[in-house]
Amino acid sequence: MARESAPWLESASGRGGSAEGVVHVFWLAGMSCDGCSVSVLGASNPSVEAMVVGTIPVLPHVVFHHPMLAEEAGSDFMGPFREAVEGTLGAPYMMVVEGSIPDDQTLERAGQFSGLGVGADWPRGSSSSRGPEQPLRASDWIWALAPGAEVTIAIGTCATWGGIPAAAGNITGSMGLMDYLGADYRSARGLPVVNVPGCAPVGDNFTETLAQLLQYLEGIAPLPDFDDLGRPAWMFEETVHRHCPKAGYYEEGVFSEEPGDDQCLVEIGCWGPVVQCNIVERGAINHMGGCMVAGGACIGCTMPGFPDKYSPFYKAPPGSAFSGSVSKVYGGGIRRLRRMSMKTGNREPLWDQTDVVTSGWGRGKGKRDPVDKMNAFFYKKLQYRGSVNQGKRHKKQPLPGSLDVLTKNGIDHTQSVDVLGERIKSREEI
Amino acid sequence: MAAVRMANEAQRVDFDPVTRVAGALSFQTTVDVEGGRVLEASAVATLFRGYEVILEGRDPRDAIFVSSRACGVCGGVHATASALALEMAFGIQPPPMGIVVRNLLVATEYLYDRPTHLFTRVGPDFSEAAVRETNPELWERALRTPAPGGATHGFALISDLMTAMTPFVGKLYTEALAMSRRAREAYVLLGGKYPHPQTITPGGVSATVGTQDLQLMLLRVVEFFDYSQKVVAVWDDVVDFFFEADPRFREVGQGPPNFIDLGQWDDPYAYDGTFETASSWGERRWSTPGAIVDGRLRTTDIQRVNMGVEEFVDHSFYEDWSGGGSQSGNDPAGNPLSNRHPANKQTIPQPGETHLAGKYSWSTAPRWDRQPMETGAYARLWMTAIADKLPHRGFTEPTGHSLRLAIPQAQLPATVLEWRVPEHWGALERNRAQAYALAHSALVAYESLLLGLDLMRKGGPDAGVFTHYKIPKDLRHGTGLWGGSRGYLSHHVTLEDRVIQRYQIVAPSTFTMSPRDAFGNSGPCEAAVVATPLLSTAHPERCIDVLRTIRSFDPCMSCATH
Repeated sequence: MARESAPWLESASGRGGSAEGVVHVFWLAGMSCDGCSVSVLGASNPSVEAMVVGTIPVLPHVVFHHPMLAEEAGSDFMGPFREAVEGTLGAPYMMVVEGSIPDDQTLERAGQFSGLGVGADWPRGSSSSRGPEQPLRASDWIWALAPGAEVTIAIGTCATWGGIPAAAGNITGSMGLMDYLGADYRSARGLPVVNVPGCAPVGDNFTETLAQLLQYLEGIAPLPDFDDLGRPAWMFEETVHRHCPKAGYYEEGVFSEEPGDDQCLVEIGCWGPVVQCNIVERGAINHMGGCMVAGGACIGCTMPGFPDKYSPFYKAPPGSAFSGSVSKVYGGGIRRLRRMSMKTGNREPLWDQTDVVTSGWGRGKGKRDPVDKMNAFFYKKLQYRGSVNQGKRHKKQPLPGSLDVLTKNGIDHTQSVDVLGERIKSREEI
Repeated sequence: MAAVRMANEAQRVDFDPVTRVAGALSFQTTVDVEGGRVLEASAVATLFRGYEVILEGRDPRDAIFVSSRACGVCGGVHATASALALEMAFGIQPPPMGIVVRNLLVATEYLYDRPTHLFTRVGPDFSEAAVRETNPELWERALRTPAPGGATHGFALISDLMTAMTPFVGKLYTEALAMSRRAREAYVLLGGKYPHPQTITPGGVSATVGTQDLQLMLLRVVEFFDYSQKVVAVWDDVVDFFFEADPRFREVGQGPPNFIDLGQWDDPYAYDGTFETASSWGERRWSTPGAIVDGRLRTTDIQRVNMGVEEFVDHSFYEDWSGGGSQSGNDPAGNPLSNRHPANKQTIPQPGETHLAGKYSWSTAPRWDRQPMETGAYARLWMTAIADKLPHRGFTEPTGHSLRLAIPQAQLPATVLEWRVPEHWGALERNRAQAYALAHSALVAYESLLLGLDLMRKGGPDAGVFTHYKIPKDLRHGTGLWGGSRGYLSHHVTLEDRVIQRYQIVAPSTFTMSPRDAFGNSGPCEAAVVATPLLSTAHPERCIDVLRTIRSFDPCMSCATH
């Protein structure tokens, strides 16, 4: 007997949205180091292979035309690029650009700074100044593919803002994708260039944006929230400093004096307080690493001004002279007050009663000096005002009978090997 | 591939782009398909960004982070080469822990790079679909050939290995991606991010080396003990299968064993940052520097390796800066340098039409003693094996004709892998050596971790990671003699008035993917493509053995052309 499946079951087994359920993604490299590709291959939320194989039901199958991953080579690889420009691809496509765009459209002599395919690969009926065996320019493909792309994404700081190939002294006239296509550019779906910056970007930042955009194209998810420079707002609206694990040092006015130190890195050249990036909260990969997490100062590699507006590297940003000094005075005060609170917070209530800290690591410094005692007294007054004073309740508790059981049983440990030596931990250090 | 018929059965086949390599590479060939021969081959690097020119006129402190971004595939090695060059110019050296951390990062980087290369770039040419299409008789044979390494890699038949190499879905393909991510996790603990680590500085590193970082790295690095055993077993089986099925596969991508390497991974107690003593600290590296010509070891002296290098631009899109090939100045140790030595080079781009008889590539043509040289992970093994000078033999032992790698027990039992210098050098042997190079890198990473823990245990100034510096005002030269995943890497810097006056980079693929030189000698990969028989029985016109050859060189074009 044939079983009828429920309507909800049928829709769940389909792929949703678009007619073919296929979206081509053309990956073009201009003045690139391939670092963005490498980052994206490391992504896992989602991964490239999951999108290509189609193991995520809400996403269409992604046909990925990427030179580093393609099975085909040469004209077999370039064929779909031509079909996309000619309008014969038979499925929607997106364009991803890695690397800045060189100013080679205007080269007086033939030639290119970044080549892709040869003249014979160029769309029929579209004019190309190139002979059939001469390299085409990546910049040719980019202007030809841009109008028909559902969405155009610039990945990495070169494609978004020009990056290092566009730095002072460059001789290729390189620029970002928005500069190349112009402020009026809109994709086939009416979107300006989407920018996922970073040098190299966090891989997940790109694949997450791509996945969200694919769901938007399928009519499943809303248009993602992009800021006024086309960055995914949920990734780039905060400064990297706000989520930096070392930001608390800044708040308390404690700064690294040299590379390798643990504290806030501003004085060894960190621009984190004024740079929009999410690498310290997201991690570089799988929530691990991230520049400042590992001790690396932020050099602004996600920002339009990179590299020249953050150079020379390893020199404190000028603004830090003012803000750092203020932080040292104000934060220094805060830090002392906090250390005072920690003196009492690092003691069991029992130790306050016996005046013995039972940790051998601290060599049993148990007695509080009178100042600490007085501080703790007033602190508790404030803390428990209007509520129950747990300190008082503790004082009424009898001491446990089996405190210091080894001594009570007559076992002598004073003869054991001393491996600690000078390595006594002191609370004053932090 | 655009195939254009020409006279005498020769046809023009363009591989533009050559895919599944790092960066922008095109090959233009003339092929006699009927005769199964390649008649001509030209390696065309199609990208130029001008990093060397961008670096001129900048603060020397910019050099590390700017030059690192020349390549995102070899995403950490340029930073270190640049730091070494700056330190030599500044007259400083990092403390031992700083050197150990750099070694560790570079070795860990290769744990991501080798699997990615072997299984996402090279592997698909040996996968079920590729073999069935080009050589169906080989597939039939693979279906009934047991895999000798099955106990290690877990695949019963050679055909199972080929199926597992299928792009995106094959077990070996996806496992390589997963393992490359584990290696990156380890890397970013001290590097901050990958590519382009954020913790390399002149004078050492800015990494905050903590207990947790080293422990988390250790857990990830030891996963590569089992994995590299598997990878070696896989490639031993695949390569031996092809050779037994048809010995002519030894000739695919064949070439003379000419190798150049600067060695890498410095001895933290020997390296002193000066050029004058380079010959001695060079030989104490974890891989031995040197030059091999036609299989014979010519030198292991890093100074001699450096002084023998010249760059030619006769077929490259640059103006010749040299005004002839005569001597110009000396290196800091007093050795004479050619006018064409990278330390004397100027980058003067000259974009134009591509003419195979004239200028056709953005890569220069570096030569050593005027010979085309290969470099790569395999050159590292070869040099270390036959020089037999390695001072650190905790896990690695050269024998003069092989390199023995003692892999500690993890889930698989401990074993000794032995890479033997092959009698016939070609594409498949390059792939096999890449697999052994993964094991080698895992052992260097492990040994570096043990050294790091030991320095942490001892404490004191040696456990520091950074040395203070002042940027000198007078004229200074610095040379960063180092290696990437793909081999030979040097950075050459000249400073004056605290500004970079000249910056030059010679990268591994500049050697291997070079065009012809002034004497008409082809680059190593060009020559290997011409020497390749086309062995596909079903589709010789697809020229898969040409692609296997090019990919076996592990090209990284972003490095090559910078």
